[in-house]
Amino acid sequence: MTHITDEIRKQLVHIVTQKRYLDSKEELACYAYDAFWEESMPHAVIFPETADEVSRILKIAFLHKIPVTARGAGTSLCSASVPIQHGIVLCFSKMDKIVEVNTRDRYIIVQPGVINADVQKALAPFGFFYPPDPGSMNIATIGGNIAQNAGGPRCLKYGVTMDYVLGMEVVLASGEIVTFGSRNVKDVTGYKLSSLFCGSEGTLGLVTRAILKVMPKPETVQTLMVTFKDLDDTANAVSDIIGSGILPAAIELMDRFTLNAIEDSFGLGLDRTAEGTLLIEIDGIKEACEREMDKIIEHLKANNAVHIQESANDADRERLWTARRSAYGVFAKLAPDIVSEDVTVPVSRVPEMIRKIKQITKSYNLTAGVLAHAGDGNMHPMIPADRSNTEEWARVEKAFDEIFAAAADLGGTLSGEHGIGLAKARYLPLVMNQDSRNLMSRIKQAIDPAGILNPGKFV
Amino acid sequence: MNPPIKPLKNCGKCGLCLTACPVYKVLKEEQASPRAKLQLIKAFENNTLESSPLLKELVSKCLMCGSCAVACPSGINHYEHFMDMRQKMVESLGETPAIKSLIFLLSKESRIRMGAGMAKLGQTLTPKWLADKYRLGNIPINQFPRLNPTPFRKTVATTISPKGLKKGSLVYFTGCATNFLYEDTGISTIGILTHLGYEVIIPKDQTCCGIPLMFHGAPAVENMMTNIQALCAHDCHGIIVDCTTCGAALKDEYPALIRKTKEKDRPATEHNGEVLEDCAQKIAAKTTDILSFIAAHRKDLVFDETTPKLGPVAYHAPCHSRNSFKSQPLVQDLLRNLPFMDYTPTPDEAECCGGGGTFFYEHPDIAKIMMDKKLWHVNAVNARYWLTDCPVCRINMSGNLDKSGDIQVRHPVSLIYGALKKP
Repeated sequence: MTHITDEIRKQLVHIVTQKRYLDSKEELACYAYDAFWEESMPHAVIFPETADEVSRILKIAFLHKIPVTARGAGTSLCSASVPIQHGIVLCFSKMDKIVEVNTRDRYIIVQPGVINADVQKALAPFGFFYPPDPGSMNIATIGGNIAQNAGGPRCLKYGVTMDYVLGMEVVLASGEIVTFGSRNVKDVTGYKLSSLFCGSEGTLGLVTRAILKVMPKPETVQTLMVTFKDLDDTANAVSDIIGSGILPAAIELMDRFTLNAIEDSFGLGLDRTAEGTLLIEIDGIKEACEREMDKIIEHLKANNAVHIQESANDADRERLWTARRSAYGVFAKLAPDIVSEDVTVPVSRVPEMIRKIKQITKSYNLTAGVLAHAGDGNMHPMIPADRSNTEEWARVEKAFDEIFAAAADLGGTLSGEHGIGLAKARYLPLVMNQDSRNLMSRIKQAIDPAGILNPGKFV
Repeated sequence: MNPPIKPLKNCGKCGLCLTACPVYKVLKEEQASPRAKLQLIKAFENNTLESSPLLKELVSKCLMCGSCAVACPSGINHYEHFMDMRQKMVESLGETPAIKSLIFLLSKESRIRMGAGMAKLGQTLTPKWLADKYRLGNIPINQFPRLNPTPFRKTVATTISPKGLKKGSLVYFTGCATNFLYEDTGISTIGILTHLGYEVIIPKDQTCCGIPLMFHGAPAVENMMTNIQALCAHDCHGIIVDCTTCGAALKDEYPALIRKTKEKDRPATEHNGEVLEDCAQKIAAKTTDILSFIAAHRKDLVFDETTPKLGPVAYHAPCHSRNSFKSQPLVQDLLRNLPFMDYTPTPDEAECCGGGGTFFYEHPDIAKIMMDKKLWHVNAVNARYWLTDCPVCRINMSGNLDKSGDIQVRHPVSLIYGALKKP
């Protein structure tokens, strides 16, 4: 890989002007990280404002084999936006225009730097919303959401980012600008390439515009907070509810350790003695919600729920969700580092997986909290640790080796919503055989033959 | 009370602080974010980055609003880390002449008085064409507030008796803005407190709270010592501030400063360390902002029923009111329930105005973007009054308003006092 020579620098600055080109060591230090712990310094940071600029930058990078790593708000939990092989960080945060809101045809067109929450704000006056809701939605960008195929609590009912991308404009490593998909909710013209780029983590091409499908806001939202004396009962209640054919918008599970960490920070008056707590949200037409709610309560009672409480108003709901969304950060209060993964298992295996996580972490003498989007089997085992304590860190790594293996054994997978990045690259063989991994490499080779896009990651 | 400052390594880099940062939201550049500033401080502390003008600029491109610290789930107090870092940068690189003279001026009461006197002379002597033409930041010179004819504290007695039965006594820390610029705030505050039955004590030996100095890397130990002595000398039920930034100094920064000077074992506070810490804690516990105080005593206010309805009234919640005193919900409730007020909240009430101490002067381009959004909203609700309880916000807001418009920027106390039943 080539270094950025004075001549190359001159050409790049010419494209974006000096103001949008950073290469002082002070400023570069601000782009060496994301929300994962790995850090690596870029050689330059460039803020493109148009697809044409991206294309011209990539043509230069392609010619000189300079690595290019895309970045939005830098909230990746798997190191997807860390320039591990240095080179250029292409930061899309300034490409933040909403191009078109069209709720009659049920789509919105955005540039990649638009923040997820701003999409929601733009749609709200029309009574619509964009379902994918990653925990970082108040700052994470749509470009990043697409790159990581992000999901969140309500993806249980609504599906993840990929299910909402109708079309996109992408700049390939060669600098070619390609488009696929359309404004149509139904479109089976050619390969569904947008699903290839969703979750490609910036290794195949850089999204410069996206057409997203939007949904009408449900008329009613109801939230239940439920506590259990036993964690097994909690998990069984979840798989019973889903198994009976009800599809809530979200079912979030918190174990006692997690709940107490949240309560320490927020003082919401949650029951600190509960071994398991569920936050269940259903939405839809009022009458349907009421019937579903009755059925859900039946299942909860059958699984020995101790306390079932319906949130009184929107403010209460918002408080519960704010607390839940902050869980990752709350854990960060406990120790300098926090390892939070997103292994996912079929929902009927949730009780077993939780037991495994508890067993494994206990056998390595680690404290772990379990937080899960339980309704879709997406678990977040979270271990507070100190990376400077090498002995402890080795135990954390071993514990996660076993947790990933256990998830694979149960028919699960490595990542439900964060992506692979650097964090989980070495576990890929657990869920994909050599031939399947080779296929990914061949796709990568075909689209990015020089290997300049986000090199050093999972492919 | 400030919680003990969490070590930098506890920052999980989650990025939640970016959602709270007004500067990041405008620039959309990571280097302007609170998270980046912590990373830079870390790099400076473990010697991977040495001090440089650029490093100083990056860590100082900040309103010091403290919203990041409130948003931080990991318990990092960005505010104190930033303050420390600013001090280190100033120690190694110095300060610009304009900021240096500000620090020189504010660190002694006698100098503040002299400065104000000179400024008044300046305001009278400045030719109109010059005043019309020049700006400080985005604010035309002639849209800066006129100085009080006489410093406010000189115009009032040290002890002012309550109306009717005495319920208790309160010490009033007026701050520099009320003393030199906004006497209406002072008159109204005293009027309301005495109306509520409180004796008001205004220590004449109080001085600048020191926050402007701290933000620019000067420790402000002298200001703190003067104020602690001035405030501790009076027995009282509470200490009232009309500016929440001064309030944050009394409530949060003095105890923190004493803790830090003790840690570093600096001689300044050595001789009476324990006594001083005790006093600071007492002051911190007793300090309340005037609006929270009024909100708690609203039922005892008697209004003149003939007061015409005022409005529409919009409110701007300053950063220290939101983040240090957490008074915004109380103020909203208060304004909503005042019988003579048509309170029309704007959706961006809690968004920063871009004032930020001297931020509006140091970064006018960023401040303008913030202010333009606020102006759009306040015009959209047809506000006649735009209230705020921070003098810097007030300067910034009134300075940026279209002069031909008829929106008045005021401290909420002046409207409340105006509506009280007079004997």
